[in-house]
Amino acid sequence: MGAWLHDPLTWSDAVIIFLWGAVFLFVVLGFVTYAIYFERKVIGWMQLRIGPNRVGPLGLLQTVADIFKLLIKEDTIPRKADRLLFVLAPILCYVPAFTVLAVIPYTEKLYFADLNVGLLYYAALSGISTLAIVLGGWASNNKYALLGGMRSAAQMISYEVPLVISVVGVILLSGSLNLRDIVDAQAGGWFWDWNFLPQIIGFVVFIIAAVSELNRTPFDLPEAESELVAGYHVEYSGFRFAFFMLSEYVYVYAIAALTTVLFLGGWHAPAPFLDFVPGIVWFLLKFAFIVFFLFWIRATFPRIRVDQLMGLGWKVLLPVSLLNVFLTAGYLELFVK
Amino acid sequence: MFNIDFNGEFAAFFIFSAIMIIGAVLMVSLQKVVHMVISMAGVFLGLAGMFVLLDAEFVAFVQVLIYAGAVSILMIFGIMMTNHRGAKADPVKPLHETLAAIAALCLFGILFYAIRTTDFPDAQPLQAVEDNTSSIGELLYTGYVVPFELLSVLLTVAFIGAIAIAKKGEE
Repeated sequence: MGAWLHDPLTWSDAVIIFLWGAVFLFVVLGFVTYAIYFERKVIGWMQLRIGPNRVGPLGLLQTVADIFKLLIKEDTIPRKADRLLFVLAPILCYVPAFTVLAVIPYTEKLYFADLNVGLLYYAALSGISTLAIVLGGWASNNKYALLGGMRSAAQMISYEVPLVISVVGVILLSGSLNLRDIVDAQAGGWFWDWNFLPQIIGFVVFIIAAVSELNRTPFDLPEAESELVAGYHVEYSGFRFAFFMLSEYVYVYAIAALTTVLFLGGWHAPAPFLDFVPGIVWFLLKFAFIVFFLFWIRATFPRIRVDQLMGLGWKVLLPVSLLNVFLTAGYLELFVK
Repeated sequence: MFNIDFNGEFAAFFIFSAIMIIGAVLMVSLQKVVHMVISMAGVFLGLAGMFVLLDAEFVAFVQVLIYAGAVSILMIFGIMMTNHRGAKADPVKPLHETLAAIAALCLFGILFYAIRTTDFPDAQPLQAVEDNTSSIGELLYTGYVVPFELLSVLLTVAFIGAIAIAKKGEE
């Protein structure tokens, strides 16, 4: 990929880059389809159920059928909704979700953009999705949707702060905002060279804040089924609803990939004698583990209360992540320089 | 007169300018406040694109993070809390509008003339740095450390002041 990015842009290169983007879109759609299937299966098994098993062999076509259902459903727009924003919100939610994936490096050779502020790019664009969720909630002209949108915005803004500060330690250790350089800085052969052990405080804060950013259980207050009907997307149906769901799962992909890159050494093998296995396999293994971990949390944790949510974000995670920055800076100043 | 070579950079510049100008025009002409905030967010995004064109990626994405993300959401929050019913458009005053249009055209003429006639000296050519983000960081913590610290103190004061004012209203 690197060769195309550094050459001057010709029409044929532009077509190739566009086709890669399209291929990647289908990879992500395939991931989302089967992530939903595995989520239902895994949660089913954990709760002593079977999970989907009717459509296709082992229920493998269940999500395909669900998506087809969403696409042929009647597309309703409430009469008193703000029509323009109601239509705009799902698009505005999905576009940043897909564009943040551009900076994720998969192996040394396979990456889509080599941006020297990759991490900042991720944090900045994912904020736009929050805007879309608030807009969707507001444009629906429904009190449950508005409440869900409000909760979501409050939660995502509060947890974005510790999320960004918790990775400052990683940036200090590797001296770069470029995600490829961050992975390179974790080279060394053994798994204790990866950032998750030296940055254990940052890692824990990052995981908690990331689950909250994803609006997943135990932080799924914006769409708490039992109290809010469905949250910000209660008035959406058909493919507009599908876009909200899609962006939620694309963010699962993004966060799992980002965690792998920042803390779990990206494409590096856990031990030097395992180097013969190609890097992409290691990346996918770590990535799949994070995705499974998110499903696992969802199957086992109860929902946190709305008044505890803000307290946890501002009074616990933020000071802890700031402390992590101080400790890392102090360590670098005293022992490394 | 206009010595411009049509390349990708020019096309991108043109697209971003179009986004910014359309956003700015919609911002003043739309009726609902939430729509105005969205068009303003469009202007912020276009501006971020301009920064990318100028090789200032750090500033560009901070612009997206702070303005297009945080500030826009904050404004929408404020608007939702205060509950605006779509304000009625003011009755049109023909004389007033004609005069405003003439004034705006004059201002445009003056600015355009001034920009065209000004001779921009080629100050030292931009020294492209390998990693401009780390250069910004180094400058902030060496040459500009005092203004940087003063600004953070100012922000803290504003922050505490805002909390104090909000507390006062509660009592």
